[in-house]
Amino acid sequence: MSTTARAGATSGGRDVDRPHEQRMHRRKQIHWFKYLSVLPLLIFFLVLVAFPVGQLVWMAFGRVRLVAGNFLWRPVGFDNFTEMMSDRVFGISLWNSAVFITSTVVLTLVLGVLLALATERLIRGQQLAQNVIIWPAIIAPVVISVIWLLILSPQIGLLNRILISFGINPQAWLGDNFGAMASVIVVDVWHWTPIVFLFVYTALRGLDPEVLEAASVDGASYMQRVRFVVLPLLAPAILGAAAIRIIMGVKVFDEMYLLTFGGPGTATTVISIYLRSVFFDAFEYGYGAALSVTVVLLVLLVLILVFVSRSLIRRLSRA
Amino acid sequence: MPEVQTASRGTEARQRTGASKQDGGHWIARLIVIGAAIITIVPLIWMIFISLQKPRVIISMGWGAEFAVDNFAEIFDPRAVFGGQVINSILLVISATAITLVISALAGYSLSQLQWSNRVVVTVLSVSALLQVIPPMTLVPGLYATLTNYGLVNSLTGLILLNTVFNLPFATIMTKFYFDTIPGELRESAAIDGASEFGAFRTVMLPLAAPGIAAVAIFTAIQVWNEFLFGLVFTTGGSQAPITVGIAALIQPQEIKFGAMAAVGVVTAVPIILLAIVANRQIVAGLTGGAVKG
Repeated sequence: MSTTARAGATSGGRDVDRPHEQRMHRRKQIHWFKYLSVLPLLIFFLVLVAFPVGQLVWMAFGRVRLVAGNFLWRPVGFDNFTEMMSDRVFGISLWNSAVFITSTVVLTLVLGVLLALATERLIRGQQLAQNVIIWPAIIAPVVISVIWLLILSPQIGLLNRILISFGINPQAWLGDNFGAMASVIVVDVWHWTPIVFLFVYTALRGLDPEVLEAASVDGASYMQRVRFVVLPLLAPAILGAAAIRIIMGVKVFDEMYLLTFGGPGTATTVISIYLRSVFFDAFEYGYGAALSVTVVLLVLLVLILVFVSRSLIRRLSRA
Repeated sequence: MPEVQTASRGTEARQRTGASKQDGGHWIARLIVIGAAIITIVPLIWMIFISLQKPRVIISMGWGAEFAVDNFAEIFDPRAVFGGQVINSILLVISATAITLVISALAGYSLSQLQWSNRVVVTVLSVSALLQVIPPMTLVPGLYATLTNYGLVNSLTGLILLNTVFNLPFATIMTKFYFDTIPGELRESAAIDGASEFGAFRTVMLPLAAPGIAAVAIFTAIQVWNEFLFGLVFTTGGSQAPITVGIAALIQPQEIKFGAMAAVGVVTAVPIILLAIVANRQIVAGLTGGAVKG
């Protein structure tokens, strides 16, 4: 298209028309490029999000079998959803997810904030500390499982080697119900405390130094400054980190799949682990889809509740 | 006066909460950070140590050491699938990241600069955000049916498409916000100079957004390299699978091959850690999803 513009520029006689002509020309250009530029995104979303979601809902209302690469669908109405009510394992998986999310979110928030405050107090080496601390957050979850299997394994693990050296009986760790849940929580905290640290640390570095200086001139001790000035100022960052951690907790799959496979029994069967087994071990495609739809609706419900309560709080505090 | 200000700003930048050398809390802070660094590093070193040991040392439960590269030789044996899976992962990262970047740069630019109505922008961003929130496992049944329709189950193409679509929301949101920081007048003046709309995007706006796009690129690449769930459920775990799924094959309830597992773990983790050291700023920007300025 630049050739037309150049042609306009070289034909000296029509110089007067140039601005007008170009404005026209630009509006036409915006026209197709504006729509073309979002088209690929739209196609991807339609084909790989909207269509699969449609399939999911459709499957949820049927008894579905996979025969020679084709899905055979027979309508069953709401049967899949009523079946869910009496599904003990689904209830257990929801409960396990709740326990896992609550513990990991609280622990990573406390440790992450503590670590951010400590790092920020260093005279030297802040950059180095930040660089090292975030490593776990970018390593593949699968590798995180490998690392912790090498530590927790009853047969060869580092932890039991240490216990044996001190003459203490080796433990089963991932082998019993409580130990397994505690272990996956510890692993998750090791994995994701860095992300909370990074959020809070970045916010901490962005605080207005004059506010903090004023507080220290007023003679407040470090602990008082943190308690009454720094933490309130960090509240948005901490809440943001909490929201992200909760979402990650709902999604969690990889570590559990490799460390415990949801076991022993159902001790660490969280939502995603259970969905996988319904779909790929029991081949209950319709029921699995119904469970998925329910989980998505639950997540949306929680989100709406959070938004509503937030705006309620805001309105109340303004009144 | 200006010099004094810059000087005080310099020290403030290092210590916002106002620590000084006389401060009693200082050594506690150092202790906490050093402790955290040790807790971070020791598990990694233990994995590297185990990966370099002979099997009999690994199962001995003592503290002996017998260094050997047997485990690496085993996983990179031409008859083993791991070499091919590493190549799959590399192809996956390159393709999915490239497609993600092209689509998100176009869409992010369009939403930020090309006068879309507010309603359109909010809708696209909400759908994107929503896709970030939903557990991917819940969409697996629908995706499975879709991929089966197109004959893309157990293929690298299928994995490339899935990795792309699940990284697009974040990439688009971040690119859009980055383009928001670039003044729209630059695009208009490029247009007055005779550049076409696409020309203004490619030669003026895109280069200006390079730092933001670099952060998105590195973050997306890491996400794709680390991805496990789709690789697990949409391949049969053999020669079509990425390396993360290869690791899972070594962890069976009956038997765990600790040495080989540690070696694959090292191969998978070390490139990422090296990247974290070199491209720390971009990774931090990607992780915090925040404003990358310059």
